[in-house]
Amino acid sequence: MPKPLAARPWVRWATFGARQILGITLIVAGAIKLPWPEASVQAVRAYQLLPFDLTRPIGYALPVLEVVVGLLLVTGLFTRIAGWIGVAIMAAFIFGISWVWAHGISIDCGCFGGGGETENGIAQYPWEIARDVGLLACGAWAGLFPRSPLALDNWLFGVGTTPGDAADNEEELEESTA
Amino acid sequence: MSQSRREALRRQQEAQARAKRTQRIVIVGAIVLALVVVGVFGAIFIGQLNRGSAPASGGSAAVPVNATADSSGIVVNPGKFAAGVPKVEVFVDYQCPVCKQLETMHGATLDDMATKGEIQLIYRTMTFLDNNLRNDSSIRAGTAAACADNAGRYGAYHDAIFAGQPTTEGTGYTSQQLRVDFAGVAGITGDSLTGFQGCFDTRATQSFVQGTNEKAAQAGVNSTPTVMVNGTKLDNNTVFQATPEAFRQLILTTKGNG
Repeated sequence: MPKPLAARPWVRWATFGARQILGITLIVAGAIKLPWPEASVQAVRAYQLLPFDLTRPIGYALPVLEVVVGLLLVTGLFTRIAGWIGVAIMAAFIFGISWVWAHGISIDCGCFGGGGETENGIAQYPWEIARDVGLLACGAWAGLFPRSPLALDNWLFGVGTTPGDAADNEEELEESTA
Repeated sequence: MSQSRREALRRQQEAQARAKRTQRIVIVGAIVLALVVVGVFGAIFIGQLNRGSAPASGGSAAVPVNATADSSGIVVNPGKFAAGVPKVEVFVDYQCPVCKQLETMHGATLDDMATKGEIQLIYRTMTFLDNNLRNDSSIRAGTAAACADNAGRYGAYHDAIFAGQPTTEGTGYTSQQLRVDFAGVAGITGDSLTGFQGCFDTRATQSFVQGTNEKAAQAGVNSTPTVMVNGTKLDNNTVFQATPEAFRQLILTTKGNG
C-alpha cells in the first residue's frame, strides 16, 4: 500500500511553510491595526457592506482574531482549526474586496492598517484578491494536513495523534484501541 | 506476571495517558480562549485611550446652541432661511486638505447663499483623520468650533480654522491657535472670549463632536469633504470643476431623496 499523502515528509514540511506564511502575515496585519481600533472600525465601514452597528465590534475584534490565529499557526498549536479559521478570514476578505469592486467603490482595503476611500483603490483589487487567494490556500493546506514538524501540536496531542487524523494514522490508532 | 495482568496494566497506563492528553488539550484550549477575551478587552481599552480623554469635570456634555435637533451638526445660518429652501450639509474634517480646497473654492458661495437665506447651511464635523494621522487635532478643532457657536461666531471660526490649516497634513493645531489665534480671526472678544476659552479648556463640546462624527458615518459618509443637498450626495468631481455660479445652480437644482 502506498504511503498516505499526509504521512510524506514533503507534505509535512509544506504544512510548516504554509503555517509560517499565513501565520506571519496575519500577525503583522493584526499587530499594525491593534493599537488603533477606531481606525480599524473606519476601515470596516469604508466597505459599506455590514450593518452600521456591527462595524464597531468587528473593527475591534478582527485585529485580535488575526494576531491570535497567526500565533497559533506560527507555533503550530491547534493547526487544523487555526488553518480553517484562516480560510474563513481570507474568504471574508476576498468577498469584501469583490463586493466593493462590484459596486465601484474605491477604497484602501485596510488590510495592513489604513483604509477608507482613496482615488485609485480599484486598480489594487486584482492583486489584493490574488494575494488573499494564495493565503487562503495556505490555510486550507494546513487544515487538510495539520501534522507538521516544529509544532506545539506534537507535544499537545502526543506525536502523531492529532484528533481527527485517523485516516493517515491507522496503525497507531489500531494499536491504541486494541 | 501473567499475560492478563500485564495486559490490564498496559490498558490502565494507556487510559491514564489519554486522560492526561485530554486534560492538556482542555487547558491549552482554555488559555487560548482566555487570550482572545483579554485581547478584545485590551483593544477596547486602547481604543478608549486613543479616542481622547473624557471632558474635564465641570465641563458638562454641552450641546451648541445652534445644533440641529438630532445633534448631527450645527446650523450656520439659524433664523435666516425660510422653510422649504434646500438643506445643504457639508461634512468636513478640520485636518482634511481637500476640505480646505472646497472652502477656498466654494466657501464664499455657500456663505453668501446662507446669508441670503437661499439655503439652510449645516456643517457636520467629522474626526476620523485623528485615527489616520494618529493625533487629536480634528476632535480638538471640532470642539473649539462648537464652542465658537456658543459665542455666536461658528461660521467665522470654521473659516478661520481652514485659513490657518497647516500646509503639511498631520501637523495638527496647537492650543494657542485654537484658543487664541483663530478666536481672534473669528472676532471673538471680551466676555465671549473668556466663555469660549472656558468651553474649550473643559472640552465641554467634545462628546457632541464625537457624536457628529458617529452620525455622519452612520449616514454613510466615509470621506470628506462631502456635500449633501436634501440628503443627496453631490459628486465631488462635479463640485470641484464647477464655477461658483455652476455650483450655486447645482445646489438649487439638486433634487432631494426625502
